[in-house]
Amino acid sequence: MVGHSRPLSPVSDSDSWPPVIQPPMAIPHCASSSSSPSPLHPPSMFSPSSSDSTSGGRARFPRFHRPSSPHKVSLRIHGTSLRNSANQVAMVEVEGGPNKLGSPSPITLAKDEKSGLLANVSSASIIIVGASGDLAKKKIFPALFALYYENCLPKQFTVYGYARSKMTDSELRDMVSRTLSCRIDKREDCSEKMNEFLGRCFYHSGQYDSEEDFSNLDRKLKLQEGGEACNRLFYLSIPPNIFIDAVRCATLSASSSRGWTRVIVEKPFGRDTESSAALTDALKQYLEENQIFRIDHYLGKELVENLSVLRFSNLIFEPLWSRQHISNVQLIFSENFGTEGRGGYFDSYGIIRDIMQNHLLQILAIFAMETPVSLNAEDIRNEKVKVLRSIKPIHLDNVVTGQYNSQTKGDITFPGYTDDKTVAEGSLTPTFAATVLFIDNARWDGVPFLMKAGKALDNRRTEIRVQFRNVPGNLYKGNFTSDAEESNNELVIRVQPDESIYLKINNKVPGLGMDLDQSNLNLRYASRYSNEVPDAYERLLLDAMEGERRLFIRSDELDAAWAIFTPLLRELEEKNITPEGYPFGSQGPISAQHLASRYNVRWGDLNLNQ
Amino acid sequence: MNCTNPHSCFSIIPVSNSSRKSNPCSSTSRSSAGNHVVSPLKIESFPRMRPMIPHRKGFRLCSSNGHSLQSVPGGDASVYAESDVKYIEQGDPDPLVYSESAASESMLSITVVGASGDLAKKKIFPALFALYYEDCLPKNFTVFGYARTKMTDEELRDMISATLTCRIDKSENCEDKMEQFLSRCYYHSGLYDSEDNFSELDTKLREKEAGKLAHRLFYLSIPPNIFVDVVKCASIRASSMKGWTRVIVEKPFGRDSESSRELTRSLKRYLSEDQIFRIDHYLGKELVENLSVLRFSNLVFEPLWSRNYIRNVQFIFSEDFGTEGRGGYFDHYGIIRDIMQNHLLQILALFAMETPVSLDAEDIRNEKVKVLRSMRPLQLEDVVVGQYKGHSKGSRSYPGYTDDPTVPNDSITPTFAAAALFINNARWDGVPFLMKAGKALHTKRAEIRVQFRHVPGNLYRKNFGTDLDKATNELVLQVQPDEAIYLKINNKVPGLGMRLDRSDLNLLFRARYPIEVPDAYERLLLDAVAGERRLFIRSDELDAAWALFTPLLKELDEKKIAPELYPYGSRGPVGAHYLAAKYNVRWGDLSADD
Repeated sequence: MVGHSRPLSPVSDSDSWPPVIQPPMAIPHCASSSSSPSPLHPPSMFSPSSSDSTSGGRARFPRFHRPSSPHKVSLRIHGTSLRNSANQVAMVEVEGGPNKLGSPSPITLAKDEKSGLLANVSSASIIIVGASGDLAKKKIFPALFALYYENCLPKQFTVYGYARSKMTDSELRDMVSRTLSCRIDKREDCSEKMNEFLGRCFYHSGQYDSEEDFSNLDRKLKLQEGGEACNRLFYLSIPPNIFIDAVRCATLSASSSRGWTRVIVEKPFGRDTESSAALTDALKQYLEENQIFRIDHYLGKELVENLSVLRFSNLIFEPLWSRQHISNVQLIFSENFGTEGRGGYFDSYGIIRDIMQNHLLQILAIFAMETPVSLNAEDIRNEKVKVLRSIKPIHLDNVVTGQYNSQTKGDITFPGYTDDKTVAEGSLTPTFAATVLFIDNARWDGVPFLMKAGKALDNRRTEIRVQFRNVPGNLYKGNFTSDAEESNNELVIRVQPDESIYLKINNKVPGLGMDLDQSNLNLRYASRYSNEVPDAYERLLLDAMEGERRLFIRSDELDAAWAIFTPLLRELEEKNITPEGYPFGSQGPISAQHLASRYNVRWGDLNLNQ
Repeated sequence: MNCTNPHSCFSIIPVSNSSRKSNPCSSTSRSSAGNHVVSPLKIESFPRMRPMIPHRKGFRLCSSNGHSLQSVPGGDASVYAESDVKYIEQGDPDPLVYSESAASESMLSITVVGASGDLAKKKIFPALFALYYEDCLPKNFTVFGYARTKMTDEELRDMISATLTCRIDKSENCEDKMEQFLSRCYYHSGLYDSEDNFSELDTKLREKEAGKLAHRLFYLSIPPNIFVDVVKCASIRASSMKGWTRVIVEKPFGRDSESSRELTRSLKRYLSEDQIFRIDHYLGKELVENLSVLRFSNLVFEPLWSRNYIRNVQFIFSEDFGTEGRGGYFDHYGIIRDIMQNHLLQILALFAMETPVSLDAEDIRNEKVKVLRSMRPLQLEDVVVGQYKGHSKGSRSYPGYTDDPTVPNDSITPTFAAAALFINNARWDGVPFLMKAGKALHTKRAEIRVQFRHVPGNLYRKNFGTDLDKATNELVLQVQPDEAIYLKINNKVPGLGMRLDRSDLNLLFRARYPIEVPDAYERLLLDAVAGERRLFIRSDELDAAWALFTPLLKELDEKKIAPELYPYGSRGPVGAHYLAAKYNVRWGDLSADD
């Protein structure tokens, strides 16, 4: 296992490749060793090589990163960047297999800078389709800037905004600049960096269904592109009804001819099994599976990423991770605001499609999956699919839906869901749902997995709660100051806000008596880690550029996820089930508690001592 | 606070008072006017049979265990007539109405033998006062100091008052309370081997007891060579006639199997086993008490509590000072007898024991004896001994052990020892239990460290770098100072990379419980008064403990093994590392990220 002394070698022997791994302590993730003084020196990055060119670019091998400094080399391995002192590096890019776009699989070899062969760098163009939209402004551009600041973008990159509005480059830059910010802990040269970044941002106005407009874009892109490989990443931040048109035009007219072309797609991925399958089929007319990056930004959240680390890098959790010790698992999402005049999209989807079928179910799959063979994307996604396919479709009996009503508190009146002008009068769309799922496998048989998602509730949070069983034959039964039912251990992973992990344990209250209470073994991120937790979109964009697919949804995962929810969604609609009303700012419909108690569960977030 | 939970005391709480935050030690029937009107009192239902002792007035029989005290077979229950003990069945539908008039007055006399000594001044009197402040002592009690020094009651009170303090969180009426407490303190001067002098004490005690049902507790805070004399005189001349008489004995309990057995035999000539309370004050420490709570009231720990998951366990005691001119006693015993054979071994037994049938003293002690008897006696090659030597830091120089004028110049008494022990049972076969105890080290602490095994087939192996030992989980119970429990876990460092670090799931007592942790002696005195024996050492436990160490101690003496020298204020002899390394262990307290 050598990294630093590895001679230049062709890509194909990637099996012999694992480079030496130095303890990755205190090394910035992407940033090359020399925080480059000039904007011309961000590191280039390259996708993982793959020996299996047909399987969608399995990121089986470490990724490499090329820093600008000739004397330092960063290696990025499963997202970890490493550094050693040698100045030789081989860089590799293999993408795709049979490329429908007719471009050959490009292979890039970059050599030692000193050897003077450094012309072989790749460039990346990131095209944000729907650049004037909310997501683009609030999340995508800021995430790209953060990656740029952290030196995580290739040395040669351009960002193109694409939308129908007429706008000049500088108008786009004005718009973008308003939402950029530097991390609290990294504000050195911030405005300088911003200007550099904005200088790489351009705008192209066009129709989403016009091949011609995309051809024009292609021409502009080519002007900016240079180097051996020109990779293109399209981010579709547009309404679902124009997905296919945009994909068709982009791929036909603006695919990279000398590098990879990838497309990031945002939810909704259909609204049931059929429409999702139709969407996938349509996408696959123009794209390979390995070019499609279905984003579920919850998978990019720090604590969701950490879930696997907790489970698989610690000895103490895995023995407890089964029906033998876990009595139930709760996945809770709540927002403390309603649709606030933007209910148009939401009303045609509802909370189940918007939150449960994707975000919460994805977390559940990662929580419950068996140990994967490796951390590679395909291995992990294989395990996730297995879990999803072991889940029985949800029965209507196991679901509670709700919709918030208006509520007056003092002088302030909070509007009900149907008071929203963008929502149809008499809408039956649920803004709250609670459900119970069961996984029919050896590990989880009989363990209720409860999900709860709602808008306009009393607080805002996303968390995973693992409630453990009773202590059999508890010697201290009589000593609990509170309800013995509430004395079960509970592991809470709070995804947001205020990331933390805590384990509720029973503890003796110090003193002369023998009173027990619940205390937390606590890890609060804000106190433990000084660095700002990056936004989920940063991680996901970076991964998409690197071809790391672990956090993106594969077609078969999506199918399996819809299979669980589609019968229920159909029944809800066919039977016109009326959601239970709950006041804005409340804890949600009371039936959610009845549903839980049917399975002998109490919602952990409603406990007094959370 | 203490005894706050109705369950933890004899649960007599007034019907009207449902607040769990009341202080039941200050029983509602206790009133400053001495007029006990409050009642009716309700007995809460219990999971099992609970005896009631009616001879209490304005005094709750609290203990630190919170369950039946009279379930102890052959215990002090025998001092009560059968009819005096009422058993209340679980779920008794009729709340027993219990009024003050039904109880006759009882009285407690506590005699501190060796009242002028250090332990009495620093620990025993302050602990008694704290119990008094918390209303955990019976309404009628007296404290007698007994020693050879001539002293008046006033002089004793002066001496004591210098060491009394109120807890930070309970300083209300502190002065008043102190005065009240001191007025109950008396002194009697006498020789330790004089039956006559103890007779005089008896007379004084009876005067104070004034015909009430009197219980007597003797605390022997005296050197070991006069233990037996005092026990003889006290039990013959100053035993309670109607109530119980109990004797608290401090270490050393002998210096090997033979001398310990001899001491027990002598004590038993005058006392029955249930009258003897051998104190090991480490058992009264909050986190040691909490050890069983953690294990047995949580689901998450017990499945991990075996050789399947635990790689090794470490019991670490270190002091950052030496004998400081008081080495006379220590030199005769050494660190192994002073710390390991008792404190650390007791903690080990609690840590490793099987689940007891109940929390009753006998059930727990039965399990502890089983563990101790499953261990093989310590081998010389599994032990490292050390002795600190003088050390200069800058302009300050710290004396070596033999520089202490109270220590012989050629002493080879160990001031440091490390040992590896093994338990030959199904749960612990092959798991090294490491102990380390030393004086004049670089820190002051006592802790239990549980190091878990490697993750088999760890998916994140590559993210840890080369040293996988640094990536194992570890549970740390910090007994002192600064009580804390933390579990070291591997965690992803937030950020775009996949960097793992070890972070702590942390419970710092100071932050969680804004109350002062009571001193170990308070708990133990309270338990002795209540007849709760769980935290005291039974004769057979003591035997089993000595059996593990006696061969080693004998060999050390016979072979005159010279201890490895280590500088004052250092981390101890390097031999301790080799010992640990022999069993593939690293001392957790010396790791970089500790």
